Amino acid sequence: MMEERLLEGKNAIVTGCARGIGNSIVEILAENGANIWACARKQTEEFEAKLLILSSKNHVEIKPVYFDLTDKDQMKIAIKSIKSEKKNVDILVNNAGITYNALFQMSTIDKINEVFDVNFISPFLFTQYVVKLMLKNKSGSIINISSSAALDGNSGRAVYGASKAALLCATKSLAAELGDQGIRANIIAPGITKTDMLSSMTEKVINETVMNTDMKRVGEPLDIANTVLFLASDLSSYITGQVLRVDGGM
Amino acid sequence: MLLKGKNAVITGCLQGIGKATLETFSNNGSNVWACALAPTDEFETFCQQLAIKNNVWIKPIYFDLLDQEQIKAALKQIASDKMPIHALVNIAGMTKDAIFHMIPMYQMKMIFEVNFFSQMYITQFVTKIMIRQKFGSVINISSISALDGSYGQLSYSASKAALIGATRTLSAELAEKGIRVNALAPGVIATDMNKIVPENIISEHIKKMSIKRLGRPDEVSKAILFLASDLSAYVTGQVIRIDGGIK
Repeated sequence: MMEERLLEGKNAIVTGCARGIGNSIVEILAENGANIWACARKQTEEFEAKLLILSSKNHVEIKPVYFDLTDKDQMKIAIKSIKSEKKNVDILVNNAGITYNALFQMSTIDKINEVFDVNFISPFLFTQYVVKLMLKNKSGSIINISSSAALDGNSGRAVYGASKAALLCATKSLAAELGDQGIRANIIAPGITKTDMLSSMTEKVINETVMNTDMKRVGEPLDIANTVLFLASDLSSYITGQVLRVDGGM
Repeated sequence: MLLKGKNAVITGCLQGIGKATLETFSNNGSNVWACALAPTDEFETFCQQLAIKNNVWIKPIYFDLLDQEQIKAALKQIASDKMPIHALVNIAGMTKDAIFHMIPMYQMKMIFEVNFFSQMYITQFVTKIMIRQKFGSVINISSISALDGSYGQLSYSASKAALIGATRTLSAELAEKGIRVNALAPGVIATDMNKIVPENIISEHIKKMSIKRLGRPDEVSKAILFLASDLSAYVTGQVIRIDGGIK
């Protein structure tokens, strides 16, 4: 018996697909029947090969879309190419982001600008474009990947946490503005998750953080991706404007 | 089929969110001990047909949440099946609305008995089994009134807030044993409990929502499904609002 998949026939845009959580999100959405525009910064053979395998295995369409989040002209071109396909956009996952660890007093203005540009301004603009497409069919689910740092304000995370808090707040406003037009918007706040971003933290900090979680382990990218699936699907049809912490209980 | 081959205890299955959860769980392959206050022909038939349709078993279990002896007997009955319990969903609850100074103390105690103490009694019993098997997911149905307050609902909102405190503490105590504990805070859901709310108050609520309509019991049941399933494997100690985005 063929089981019905949770996102059969839906079309999703996911940013930051090359690695870590984004990579897992593409896998889970594809397994659940979604066609995907998989956005990444750089074209690599490895990435394209992975998408091909995923798409044939799951009988879905997956198209790589390349642009640098800090280059607004590139972003516009990417959106135009998506738009030109004249398909409904049902799901947007703003996952791409950069991390930065620095004490408040040591944070430089250049870094503050860069982190806010990538983690807040770019997904904000990108979402503006995508919402226009979603409004055509009056339905959609937007999932923004924030961070537990946005809620907890950890030491050394002033800039990163603030950029993710900005994204979180904007998402709540977006949810309030678009709820009656069939578009939901929610936030996932991952805790400490096994990705390349972890390598920016010292072993000591990682261990301490793990000891502070109820589950005493770091999260897997798959854990975040499965929550994205929930929020992208109709399983969460009455949930909007919410922050879901996926952090093992911090 | 997110719960294929799993077994769940669900309370409050007679109507509303509980009934919808019974349906959603069995549609997703879960066997269910379906707890309700008292047998009715309609409920028994509903359980039987649902079980046949989904090729699972559903065992109706009856007890009054105000009667600890009845709860104990029911729990023993569940334990005697000697099967693993993957999920416990505490849904059964009641409300008696009155402004603060008009609440008789016996009534406040009764509401806490049903909405909090009996749930804790059931949870103690079931998580003992879960600790032995080293896995399980507990889902407590709280309410947005526990977080926001709700005019005329002191007993109800305070008892539901107690559930949130219990959820967070239990998460900390049980996570290492492989058990996750979360709560849902539904907003205004189209159930019998809300049928008595006057229309003008309902439309006031809807004005504050981002999604301009009441929630449906099946929508709440699908969030419960998420929390019971492995999709939420790294989610514990959380309270998730399912309220259409109330401001």
